[in-house]
Amino acid sequence: MRTNRTTTMVAILTTAFTLACVGVFLLLYVNLRTAAGWLQDDVKIMVYLDDRLAPDSVVEVEQRLRGDRAVASLLFFSKEQALGEFKAQFPSESHLLEGLGQNPLPASFVVALSPSFRSPDAIKRWAERVRQDSGVSKVDYNQDWIDALATVIRSIELVAIGIGVILSAAAVTIIANTIRLTLFARRDEIAILRLIGATTSFIRVPYLLEGAVLGALGSALSLAMLKFMYELFRQQMRTMGRFAGLDNLIAFFPPSVCLALVAVGMGLGVAGSFVSMRRFGEAKA
Amino acid sequence: MIQLIHVSKQYDQRLALSDVTFEIGKGEFVLLMGPSGAGKSTLLRMLIGAERPDEGQIFVHQKNVTTIRPSEVPYLRRKVGTVFQDFRLLPKKSVFDNVALPLLVQGVSSADIRRKVTEALRAVGVEHKRDQLPAGLSTGEQQRVCIARAIVNGPVVLLADEPTGNLDPALTSEIIELFKLINARGTTVVVATHDPLVMMQVNRRVLTLSQGRLLPEQRVMG
Repeated sequence: MRTNRTTTMVAILTTAFTLACVGVFLLLYVNLRTAAGWLQDDVKIMVYLDDRLAPDSVVEVEQRLRGDRAVASLLFFSKEQALGEFKAQFPSESHLLEGLGQNPLPASFVVALSPSFRSPDAIKRWAERVRQDSGVSKVDYNQDWIDALATVIRSIELVAIGIGVILSAAAVTIIANTIRLTLFARRDEIAILRLIGATTSFIRVPYLLEGAVLGALGSALSLAMLKFMYELFRQQMRTMGRFAGLDNLIAFFPPSVCLALVAVGMGLGVAGSFVSMRRFGEAKA
Repeated sequence: MIQLIHVSKQYDQRLALSDVTFEIGKGEFVLLMGPSGAGKSTLLRMLIGAERPDEGQIFVHQKNVTTIRPSEVPYLRRKVGTVFQDFRLLPKKSVFDNVALPLLVQGVSSADIRRKVTEALRAVGVEHKRDQLPAGLSTGEQQRVCIARAIVNGPVVLLADEPTGNLDPALTSEIIELFKLINARGTTVVVATHDPLVMMQVNRRVLTLSQGRLLPEQRVMG
């Protein structure tokens, strides 16, 4: 590495910028996944009861729901409570209901499902099943929103994978070119080593290590840049009134992921070295 | 120690070696003579597995070099020391480090490296230059360092390709004497040269190549 200090620095910086671009998408993806997880955990399913249902039957429905292993918690919402809630949320529209004479809003159970039943598919299946039950008029939950978010996450996942693959290939190429310059500068030395009986691994290991160090440093630097941008972004959010509080919800990569990313950088570096040595032929003697 | 059986090699349309057959026994000192382009360097490169013949078989120290696997080549080269006309020393490494290189690639301990390098430098008479860089040495000294590097790990064969090509007659004599000393210790020595002065000084078996063909053998008796 000492032979081409400038080239090495440029390679580390370019690798860092390249991996930082991948990192931005990864960070966005990880945070959206977390947010989606929270929303999924927070899904409340409204089980609306038939308006003509006798109080005994309401208890029956409640018992049936309580006995369901998918149900984690249950809250009864009477017709009166529903009306009160409506008036509280839409005060200017409350006269619409007064004109009807009687309360048209149905009683309902607000159901939260157990963690193992919170996937979009499981929620859907559960809702379909309960919808058929006697005394239930309608089952409602904010599935559209969840589906939309899932689609967005899937798209970001695809973009992140695509960009990740392209930019990783770019990082491999950058490191490969740097190693090739080193190999070129040391071609005489390599040829001599071959002539005096050095094995291929004896010759290759230092260059593979150089690639690994370049990749790891590039990756570590990209994480430092990302962390800096992340803190800057959080600070901006804090100062912007509308997003105050949201800054605590976004998170940086946990240490284990940071280590994994450095390892990935190292792997890309080794791959770059390998590609370069294969092409260069290690100054065959 | 070295055996060539009907060896031929062609580069594009040019014949480098044609049906060459000879044998060199253990402990022999052989001169490989011939003008530039006669095929001497090609032959030496074949002996260390750097080139493969198109036809024929080559054996070095009972190893068939023609069928050797690439992974075995380094181990062959550890038994065959090589001396070059242009010395091929690493310019940024000291004399000691240059000579230590063959031992380093074999994973020899630092204590043994120190001992063996010192012995080799003493044998060629440049022990006092051990800490200098090659650029600070005379051409004769550089060639001595190159020879020290070739013998440091006790090879069974020493190959030298035009080792006196860059040296004046006085230095040529010194280097030839060194080869004789190395040979006297039991190492088979093959020197490729076009210099008649070397032939006169060596007075040993001579193999002559001309346009890739081996001419009838002659022995110079001194």
